[in-house]
Amino acid sequence: MNTHLLPASPAASSSGRPELSTTKRPPRGWFARQYRQRMLRTDLLTVIAWSSVAAAIALWLADGGATNITSPASLFTAAGIVAGLAGMDLVLLMLLLAARIPFIDRTIGHDRALEFHGKLGKPSLYLLLAHGVLLAIGYGMAEGLDPVSESINLWVQVPDMWLAFVSMALFIAVVVTSLVAVRRRFPYEFWYVVHLLTYAAVATSIPHQFSVGGLFAAGTWQRWYWLSICIYTGSALVYFRILEPVLATARHQLTVARVERVAPGVVNIVMRGRKLNQLAGTGGRFFIWRFLAPGMWWHPHPFSLSAEPVFSGSDGQGTLRVTVRGLGNGSAQLLRLRKGTKVALEGPYGLLSTAARTKNKMVMIGAGIGITPLRALLETTPFAPGEATVLLRGHTEQELYLGSEILDLCQARGGRLFHLIGPRSRTQSTWLPEDAVRNGYSLTSYVPDIADADVYVCGPAVWAANVIADAGKAGVPEEQIHHERFDW
Amino acid sequence: MKIRGTVAAALASAGILLAGWQTGTQAGGISTVASSTTAAGTTGSTGTGSSGTGSSGTGPTGSTGSSGSTGSAGSSSSSGSSGSTSSSGSSNSSASGTYKGNTVQTRFGPVQVQITVASGKITDVTALQLTNTDGKSIQISNRAAPLLRSKVLAAQSANIQTVSGATITSDAYLTSLQAAIDAANL
Repeated sequence: MNTHLLPASPAASSSGRPELSTTKRPPRGWFARQYRQRMLRTDLLTVIAWSSVAAAIALWLADGGATNITSPASLFTAAGIVAGLAGMDLVLLMLLLAARIPFIDRTIGHDRALEFHGKLGKPSLYLLLAHGVLLAIGYGMAEGLDPVSESINLWVQVPDMWLAFVSMALFIAVVVTSLVAVRRRFPYEFWYVVHLLTYAAVATSIPHQFSVGGLFAAGTWQRWYWLSICIYTGSALVYFRILEPVLATARHQLTVARVERVAPGVVNIVMRGRKLNQLAGTGGRFFIWRFLAPGMWWHPHPFSLSAEPVFSGSDGQGTLRVTVRGLGNGSAQLLRLRKGTKVALEGPYGLLSTAARTKNKMVMIGAGIGITPLRALLETTPFAPGEATVLLRGHTEQELYLGSEILDLCQARGGRLFHLIGPRSRTQSTWLPEDAVRNGYSLTSYVPDIADADVYVCGPAVWAANVIADAGKAGVPEEQIHHERFDW
Repeated sequence: MKIRGTVAAALASAGILLAGWQTGTQAGGISTVASSTTAAGTTGSTGTGSSGTGSSGTGPTGSTGSSGSTGSAGSSSSSGSSGSTSSSGSSNSSASGTYKGNTVQTRFGPVQVQITVASGKITDVTALQLTNTDGKSIQISNRAAPLLRSKVLAAQSANIQTVSGATITSDAYLTSLQAAIDAANL
């Protein structure tokens, strides 16, 4: 079958035996349709996001806001009100993006949702700051006071306003520490606690919106609209971030069954549980795990399944498996996990899965521990023999974790497999081993028809960026490249 | 694909803003009408109150009395407070007549209330001036004034809860009211 003149001889290239294929490829055009639907959902989300900002301003317009601008003071006041409305709307959008709503996750993926979430941070802070400053100026001018005394007046005299000042201080603290944390790479836990303050910031800002702002006075339809979007955001957060994970944990009753050594510093954690059939087909997507043992339970770990669930009984009883490298101080503890430890889970999240497919052909490129999600994806994602290629990258053969399982799967399902082993190039930044670079190989040397395939990339950030750049050069459109950040 | 989403989003947003603008200019027209009626209302205040906000219960009975009193107050306020030529000069401390509170300035405009006292009881509260700088303030005032009036009449004092969404108006209203109560020596 392998008629191409390939620079590196594939470790496996079998394409017969379609009867062994676990998941048959769906009819022609299925993936294209799936892609079109996902794009439609993306557009829908874009429309909703923009419209919500427009609606926030329209609330004010509908109230005759623009017709009341008659003096410099009212102009400042109007600008302040609009800034506050838009800023709060962006804050709500940020919360929704971080709420892990399945519709958003299925459409743009977890990491892109968080990317947008991060991008909105600074604009919303600027709008909220402008809100405070402009209103202090506007109100101050109307009363003949300077903005500072006006602010003090507001703080002292107007009920709920002191809360709004507290809220503003919290918002500033959250955004500033987030920006610093991104740069300095504070531990995840620090980040987490800072972000909890966001909820306090939003909560303290809400009273003044309804009591001080005349726009949301009792009995107005604007009040109901604003109240409903606040309540929707709050309940989405509570449901998807707290209730659903608790329910999932109770539903699956996971406990650690055994910890197997795969390679130095790398283990398989096998967990036993119930109703695992509900988690089947999530290959490539990740869960957030908490191992409920002293000193570990508060540490969330984002890991993908490294294999499909194995069923041993009725009611979906069986085992799940993740493959973990002891990197961070939290992950290192996992190597010594005790049998019987209870496990809490959230998820599945992310789009590194069949749901992202746009083409019949696919290429999976993994390095190091990033190989393991691809192992699970390879197990179930539909393709016909000869349509899938797997490229595994590691310094040594030993670092191709689960390499032998992937070889078996490729043989069974008819996929091509390349092992790219060796030290990285010292002269240039590349994802390939040095000798491959020296021989002039690139992505198309291994996968000539890659431009017509979905490319799944999983590995360290810099390495993955190189793969993606190379794929772009080989003519792979952006929407066919699927990559999940794996380094937070 | 990205372009399609952006264009759709921009169109939807523009439509929403336009709809908001449209309703806003219409609402603006309505509120100026409202402001003209309240402007008329400050002189003959409760006539519009009964017609406009449909305060049917208080309209016929209480309002006619109060409109009478405001009429007199409007003509000569000082005589209103001093000239308690009231029906019964019966009691020692219980005064009768109409009393004005001082004018309280807020960012939404001046607020001043007047109370009508009969044999030591507040029988009516009239807002001589209410926050009216813009359509919103007028709307808030129109909503808050009847609520505040009935609360004051029930409590017979300025110690009542403010109307939510009309905090500034309420505070000014109650401050002026307290001054009027003090003036009446209640």
